[in-house]
Amino acid sequence: MLTIDALKEFGANVDEGLARCMNNEALYLRLAGTVVDEKNFDRLKDALSANNLDEAFEAAHALKGALGNLAITPVYEKVVEITELLRARTDMDYTALEAEIEGKREELRKLL
Amino acid sequence: MKRFKEKDGFKKHILIVDDEFANREILGNIFNGVYEVTYAEDGEQAMEILGERPYDFSLILLDLLMPKMDGFTVIKLCKENELLKRIPIIVMTSEKDAEIESIKLGAIDFITKPYDMPEVILARTERIIEFAEDKNIIQATEKDSLTGLYTKEYFLRYISQIEHYAPETKMDAVVLNIDHFHLINEIYGRDFGDEVLVLVANELLDMIEQKKGGLASRINADIFYVYLEHKGIYGYNVLERINKQIYERTSTHNIRVRLGVYPDVDKSVQPEMWYDRAVIACNRIREDYTRNVAYYDNSLYERAIYEEKLIRDFYTAVSEKQLMVYFQPKYNITGEKPRLSSAEALIRWKHPELGMISPGDFVPLFEGNGLIQQLDNYVWEEAARQIKEWKDKYGVTIPVSVNVSRIDIYDPKLFDKLTNLIEKYGLTTNEYMLEITESAYSDNVNELIEVVNKLRGRGFKIELDDFGSGYSSLNMLTTLPIDVLKMDMKFIRNMLVDYKNLKLVEIILDIARLLKVPVIAEGVEEEKQYQTLRDRGCDVIQGYYFSKPLPAAEFNLLIEKDLKENQ
Repeated sequence: MLTIDALKEFGANVDEGLARCMNNEALYLRLAGTVVDEKNFDRLKDALSANNLDEAFEAAHALKGALGNLAITPVYEKVVEITELLRARTDMDYTALEAEIEGKREELRKLL
Repeated sequence: MKRFKEKDGFKKHILIVDDEFANREILGNIFNGVYEVTYAEDGEQAMEILGERPYDFSLILLDLLMPKMDGFTVIKLCKENELLKRIPIIVMTSEKDAEIESIKLGAIDFITKPYDMPEVILARTERIIEFAEDKNIIQATEKDSLTGLYTKEYFLRYISQIEHYAPETKMDAVVLNIDHFHLINEIYGRDFGDEVLVLVANELLDMIEQKKGGLASRINADIFYVYLEHKGIYGYNVLERINKQIYERTSTHNIRVRLGVYPDVDKSVQPEMWYDRAVIACNRIREDYTRNVAYYDNSLYERAIYEEKLIRDFYTAVSEKQLMVYFQPKYNITGEKPRLSSAEALIRWKHPELGMISPGDFVPLFEGNGLIQQLDNYVWEEAARQIKEWKDKYGVTIPVSVNVSRIDIYDPKLFDKLTNLIEKYGLTTNEYMLEITESAYSDNVNELIEVVNKLRGRGFKIELDDFGSGYSSLNMLTTLPIDVLKMDMKFIRNMLVDYKNLKLVEIILDIARLLKVPVIAEGVEEEKQYQTLRDRGCDVIQGYYFSKPLPAAEFNLLIEKDLKENQ
């Protein structure tokens, strides 16, 4: 079961995220738990493999918003990085960065 | 329902539009308790919700990048929409460029992502809602300053909130209208007019208070809308109290209050439509002084559509001669045997699609909207032309009486129009009779008497039509400038069935003798009625007993017959 301590250890800025949830721990944990299954993770992956940078940007941007609000810093930072690259439609190989995001996502999932 | 009564009882609504579940949840958690929150997952869904509940929301919190329809489009659509443009929009974004773009489009402020602390967001939204409401108040205030009732805009907004909370509750839409309210202002002064409006407003507030909830609004001058829980029968008490108080101050029954009720409104149509329907019902009894409350049903709607068509088709009817003047003969019965003495001009409408339309269908309608004046003018001309034709053809005068409607009396050109007609067809004023209905006399007596005196001064003969149906006081009769009394046909119809009616007929004949004017009895259909009237000294008779109204060609035959028999 996801706990505040586990999230803290993972590197999330729990204080900030909790404050946004008006210190409603149950809500915060529920949202942090569901964000793992955010459909935009898959959308990002699929768009990148199809080399559709527009769609990839939209998906990354959406993820960035949610992760930022929940202050899930380790995932958030990676998503910010890819969002900025995609915003500029940087022509590059995103595989490594994508894998890093997926890695962090998996770490988060293990906390559930 | 109690909580809908006061604005303070309402929670304001905000609409959160964001495609991210987590974001919606975080914001919802911040606003719940303070506001009523509705969510949309994309721009399309947002526009759908706003379209259904355009009056509900005090604020929109809008994400920009969303699937289906983005936030920029939502801002644009809202700002182009009359009902939605008042709603302030706060954009939620992490992009500097987007901030500028959205402010340019009409967003009022932005919240950055990741979100600021809840306290900051709450304070900011609260300030913006207040600011926007102040701004809207400059354009539209919530309460009418005179009566304290809601203004139309807020009334509709709160209806939509009631509907949101209690969509299953059966509700009625009620319209209240004050007849001849302008007269109150003109005759008794604005202060008294205002007093009447406040009196009405208080009674309406009482009415919804008794129903434990509901809304009341003054829409404009003397029109009030009420929205309340459905009930069976409407308040004679309320109306009686209002009408009694007005009567006490004015001593006239002409100023009275009418209710139009659209019961158990159809919630699948817009509130504006409910009130259109209530207004249709209310207008139906404008001329009917025996009823103060009318209920809408579908036949009223069909009737309104039908009337619309008649009004639309009126000008074509004139130009294509669908309107025809018929003549109903009047017989003088004072001599040995009845003699054709004159005729009344009556209008008939042969409509190409609807067939023959009864004057009862369109005359009151045209009286209501002023077209009657053009209709009358048309009949006047046709009648004058016909009198001339008979003179030329038979060498005799059949005087024709034409109707002068209440509205014609106030036509400054009335005198000129009539004298020009006489001159145009080479007639004398003895050959042309004017019928004025009795109820016109009770309207504005002095002005009417002045107009009538001028016409009589020129030699026109005035027939007082429908005598006994209106409100003339016996005292007024002695001062009325008239030449003929035309008894209301209701007396004739009932005089053989009801002794009191016969007695009234005798009294009217006595009054006529006192005034030294002849009496015409209308609507005489049977031999026995004819005999009864003749025995009691009635002078002239009109009705199916002698003849129905006839087109000119058929009327010719009556003239020929009369000439032959009396040579």
